[in-house]
Amino acid sequence: MTREQWERLKVLFNGALDQPAERRHEWLTLHAQGDELLAREAGALLLAHDTAEGFLEEPAVVDPTDLAALDELGSGMRIGSYEIEREIGRGGMGVVYLARDLRLGRPVALKALSRLHDSNAALRERLRREARAAANISHPAVATVYALEEVDGRLFIASEYIDGHSLRSEIESGTLEWRRAIAIAIDIASALCAAHDAGVIHRDLKPENVLITRIGAVKVVDFGIAQIDSINTRLTREGDVIGTPAYMAPEQLIGGTIDVRVDIYAVGVILTEMLTGQHPLTPGRRSIHTSASEIARRCIQTDPNERYRSARELLAALEREPSNPTAVTDPVTPPLPEASRARWWWEFHQAAVSIVYAVMIWPTWLARHVIGGHTGNAVFVTVLAAAIVAVTLRLHLWFTSRSYPAELDWARGRSTGWMLVSDAIFASALVVAGVLVGDERPAIAVIEIAVAVGAATSFAVVEPATSRAAFRRTDRL
Amino acid sequence: MPLVYDELRRIAAGYIRRERPGQTLQATALVNEAFVRLAAEQPRSFANRQHFVAIAALSMRQILVQRARARKAAKRGGAPNRVTLDEGLVSTEPRGVDVLALDEALTRLAALDSEQARIVELRYFGGLTVEETANVVGVSPATVKRQWAMARAWLKRAVDTAPDDGANARP
Repeated sequence: MTREQWERLKVLFNGALDQPAERRHEWLTLHAQGDELLAREAGALLLAHDTAEGFLEEPAVVDPTDLAALDELGSGMRIGSYEIEREIGRGGMGVVYLARDLRLGRPVALKALSRLHDSNAALRERLRREARAAANISHPAVATVYALEEVDGRLFIASEYIDGHSLRSEIESGTLEWRRAIAIAIDIASALCAAHDAGVIHRDLKPENVLITRIGAVKVVDFGIAQIDSINTRLTREGDVIGTPAYMAPEQLIGGTIDVRVDIYAVGVILTEMLTGQHPLTPGRRSIHTSASEIARRCIQTDPNERYRSARELLAALEREPSNPTAVTDPVTPPLPEASRARWWWEFHQAAVSIVYAVMIWPTWLARHVIGGHTGNAVFVTVLAAAIVAVTLRLHLWFTSRSYPAELDWARGRSTGWMLVSDAIFASALVVAGVLVGDERPAIAVIEIAVAVGAATSFAVVEPATSRAAFRRTDRL
Repeated sequence: MPLVYDELRRIAAGYIRRERPGQTLQATALVNEAFVRLAAEQPRSFANRQHFVAIAALSMRQILVQRARARKAAKRGGAPNRVTLDEGLVSTEPRGVDVLALDEALTRLAALDSEQARIVELRYFGGLTVEETANVVGVSPATVKRQWAMARAWLKRAVDTAPDDGANARP
């Protein structure tokens, strides 16, 4: 639209607006002087004007948090040797950016105080302490602190960027499979062992602070209010309460003396939530009677003396957690798609191996006649016995996997050793049979030895691989 | 400009300290408060109130747009790494107008009619009355009213017909 057209549009719009509503159209046609397009544009504007009731009527409103959030760090900007990609989180005092460390070319999470609090000495000290506390902990389930940087007076922590989601979202998406819940609890407890060994209490453990990476690894983050317990100079005044009430131990809530057992309490709450989807103090919460809930119950005792004394003790209890699926009332969540495909291959592998083993009885039967005597009988009986054990166990696992997947881990735990032994005996006996019939019946010898090698490869390489793929989630620990 | 930003930020900090989560500030109140404080602290920084409110309105516009963008980016990115130091202050989308669509439409309007765009900025983002706006722009209140009516209609149309880029930007 040219300037001239715009000016004419203005005249038409304002002129028509002065007319009574029913005469506007007529007025427009009359004054548009044949400019159909402009008349239509003015008509559309008039229509918009009539329907714009309330639009921009009230001046803009702004959330004070948004104002406080005015950080000059936007996408593509550089601070020191980091290039900001985007903001990924913000709280009342801090802000976290996803950035790239240009020196090392890796993504990092930059945590800084928001501009508003940037000059607050106490908060700066807290951030420094957070960095030091977290830097002292070296554990795969704790987000690694890379550096504490100060650029142009701006203080920030560069740490491992965790690409994943929080445990909170996993809990909210439905009840976690209970084995997974225990595996996660074990990771958290193990991370706490390392933290407590380094003299750091997390103090704000909650599902939001437990991240799950894309490959399913657990990372405890936010030693944000962590305090080095050996240091007495408290940043928060004596008795100040910091933390998230729902996960705070009673002694922490009332601002009493706290120790590592506040973290134990938080693990108990998290474990209960993972198992039931509900906070332990939810009224009318459906109860579960498992040894896992027993562990959780002990964690959330009001009296710290009745809880586990240390993260290590809790970890040991979790690891001892008997795999007793019959006591579980929780619905079992279906395995993830990639896991179920791997599971299919694993089942296929079991079935295929069973068939091959069974078929091998026949050439070995032939070999028995060729070898003759006690040796022949011994070789044949050995192969037969080993095959029966190996096939029976495999079919048992195959059947369990298809019909009672929840009990599969338990069944696998009991069968694996026997299977390994029977496989080894089976393969060895085949080799013996193959060697003994070598001269007379080379065809049988070749089959026997080939299958022996195949079986050995299968149980040494293929089976561990398919099992690993199929049970990665539960076997991770 | 940084001065105005700082002042707005300081005012926001005051509100946050008084802890009234979920509360929103109207542009009018905010700009007035900022002016009163700045005028008291640094009387020579701004030639006059008109000068100040024009800058404040522009700042408000930039702030709202910047935050709306950040929110949109955070939503897209899933924001797995959360903040630690304090929580519970995750801001919510302000009700009503889609700031990004409005900002974009306003930029297009400015190309057609800079006076109209300026009036909208002052009235909507600065919270100025018709008379105050007339004062700042240097036209009569009647002109402001006329220009405002047309600009509002034009923007309403532009915003309503704009594609919902929130949904289309990344399918």
